[in-house]
Amino acid sequence: MRRRVVITGLGVFSSIGTGAAEFAAALRAGVSGRAPLTAFDTTGYAHSYGCPVRSFDPARWLRRVRPSELGRAAAMSASAARMATDDAGLIAADLRAVRCHVCVGTTEGGAFELDQLTSSWLEDGPERMDPALARRVPAQSLSVAVARELDLTDAEISTIGTACSAGNYAIGDGFDAIATGEAEFALCGGADAIARKTFTIFYRLGLIAPDHCRPFDSGRQGILTGEGAGIVLLESLDSALARGARVYAELLGYGLNCDAYHPTAPNREGIARCMELAMRDAGVKPEEIDLIAAHGTGTRVNDITEAQAIRDVYGSRVPPVVGLKSMLGHAMGAASALGVIACALAITGRFIPPTINHRQTDPECAIDCVPNAAVDADLRVVQNNGFAFAGNNSVVLLGRS
Amino acid sequence: MDITAWSAVSPYGLDRSCFADGIRSGRAAMVWADPAGPASARACLVPGFDQREALGRKGTKGMDRLTGFAVHAVAKAGAHRGPDTAVVLGTTTGSVKSVADFTRASMTGERPFDVDPVRIPSVVMNTPAGHSAIWHGITGPNATIASGRASGLLGLSYARRLLRTGRARRVLCGAAEEYSTARSWLSHGALLGEGAAVLRLEAEGARGALATVLGLGFGLDSVPAVARSALRQAGIVAEDVWAVVPGTRAERDELAGMFGACVLDRVSPVDELIGDTGAVSAVFQIAAALVVSVNQPASRVALVTTADPMGTTAAAVLVLHGTGEP
Repeated sequence: MRRRVVITGLGVFSSIGTGAAEFAAALRAGVSGRAPLTAFDTTGYAHSYGCPVRSFDPARWLRRVRPSELGRAAAMSASAARMATDDAGLIAADLRAVRCHVCVGTTEGGAFELDQLTSSWLEDGPERMDPALARRVPAQSLSVAVARELDLTDAEISTIGTACSAGNYAIGDGFDAIATGEAEFALCGGADAIARKTFTIFYRLGLIAPDHCRPFDSGRQGILTGEGAGIVLLESLDSALARGARVYAELLGYGLNCDAYHPTAPNREGIARCMELAMRDAGVKPEEIDLIAAHGTGTRVNDITEAQAIRDVYGSRVPPVVGLKSMLGHAMGAASALGVIACALAITGRFIPPTINHRQTDPECAIDCVPNAAVDADLRVVQNNGFAFAGNNSVVLLGRS
Repeated sequence: MDITAWSAVSPYGLDRSCFADGIRSGRAAMVWADPAGPASARACLVPGFDQREALGRKGTKGMDRLTGFAVHAVAKAGAHRGPDTAVVLGTTTGSVKSVADFTRASMTGERPFDVDPVRIPSVVMNTPAGHSAIWHGITGPNATIASGRASGLLGLSYARRLLRTGRARRVLCGAAEEYSTARSWLSHGALLGEGAAVLRLEAEGARGALATVLGLGFGLDSVPAVARSALRQAGIVAEDVWAVVPGTRAERDELAGMFGACVLDRVSPVDELIGDTGAVSAVFQIAAALVVSVNQPASRVALVTTADPMGTTAAAVLVLHGTGEP
């Protein structure tokens, strides 16, 4: 018998707000996180907007780990885990008393730091590269930083590197760890920092929007690279009830699969099958689902493929499908974790966050993307999509607890 | 959870039997000094591996060495097409060489986006796992565990959850790592190794099982603590352990209070023979335990440990069935 799993703590750093309350307010208001990128020298790119996290100060959040020891993504990851623990009304000693599971998803790990090392190699030769900077590169630093910040020594601590669906992957893994009884608390989600490398990949592929990210819009021109961290604290429903915790939402189940089709392009059948796997795992039917938080990158190929797959699964009764990346940009490994958090806040706050920057829905997509303004809604079951290069699909289902 | 097959592409050669011969003889793999690396840069390379030769010319354009290792090792562990099989592969930082080359091109090219689009998959960490799935038509869960040296044992735990929850019926679980000058600069001249190893995992009671994973332990900074935790989960006392396979000499020293020298030295120290293989190290250690167990009485118990420089520690307790090819 698997245990029911609930979300009782949220940690958020995003381009539109820090912390659950600010993030929820921004989602409801349809705030744009867009700003000119300053994380690297953007000279020579015709356009360079992105969705950075502004005024992130790890010293405000971290109590045990020194911010100077961490790369930017690891600092956001550890800060978000500290925030999620506080938000759940727990202290580190509560976590230390039982078995914990830490799992952080990422696309890039310490790519921001690797960019700097490459630059230093070019300027001064490889022997002058800063060893302290080199230590911040490996992706495992994102999950280890969480464990060190909360002093969790009896914990499974892993980083999942399944690119842009890594947040959903990590939250799914935390779900299984709690559901099977392997752990009592799980801190999981995703984190990534804006890096030259990531931006250049999407720029070279012609997938960076010159002005705004407009998922499902006829005039969409691509993504804006973003960054952030989203960490949720998971525990069993029984544990939450026993300690009188506030429950944001229940995790109902998830699906994982691989298109095994193309290194960068999504695949309609693979995505449809992943949604069906998630529904089967959660024991829900399409007609019970009230909202889909789409992967919705704002590229031509993603949005059409995703909309087609949704119609394949939902038939004529498609619920609203929103593109949160219109507000948040594409926060890479953090994207689907921020998506799960947005879904939990939408359930709790009884609203559907909008798809902003919207002018005209692409008839090839033909979905209700809740353009530009949030609407009030009584949401019982919500689906969060996350897809990635290499066809690494992951879909998470949440419900009102 | 049972191990029913394994593969190894290692500095000993391209297949399992080369690895088995090397480990049994305790012979160190050939060491190459990289003139472009730091002063002391030395590496044990996989001899004679060319991804286009090993896999054919079709579909290998732009494929990096790392992904070549992964695709090859997944094939040798018994790739099954379809949705019932999962792929779980470990890494440290993906292909450091590809990332460094890519970023350098962006920084030095006439325009910052003058980068080779064919190389783009190589700069994303999930490519070895994803490409293995594409190559072999494996449509089950596809995960990349980016946890450095601990990836191998963290992968076992991830795989065990996939099997327990019915998300997969078999898991091809391992890791891949490539040598490059760029990686050696980030590793400050340590003896580095490369290659890939993959275990085929199925629910306990599988036909032809070579070993059964009885317990896994995870933590931070202490190897004895995770060893005890894995033994507790396995229901095994330290006295019943036949072989300890530590990842490094430092781990061996940490465990010296728990186990006698003959148990600690039963299996040759893999990292000293083939170099630091990063994410693959613990998978090679398990493979080494399997090699040494062949033709031994059934039910020998092995303890495999790992410690990542960043602090994560892990241990696995396996009961070895003494089966498999000699």
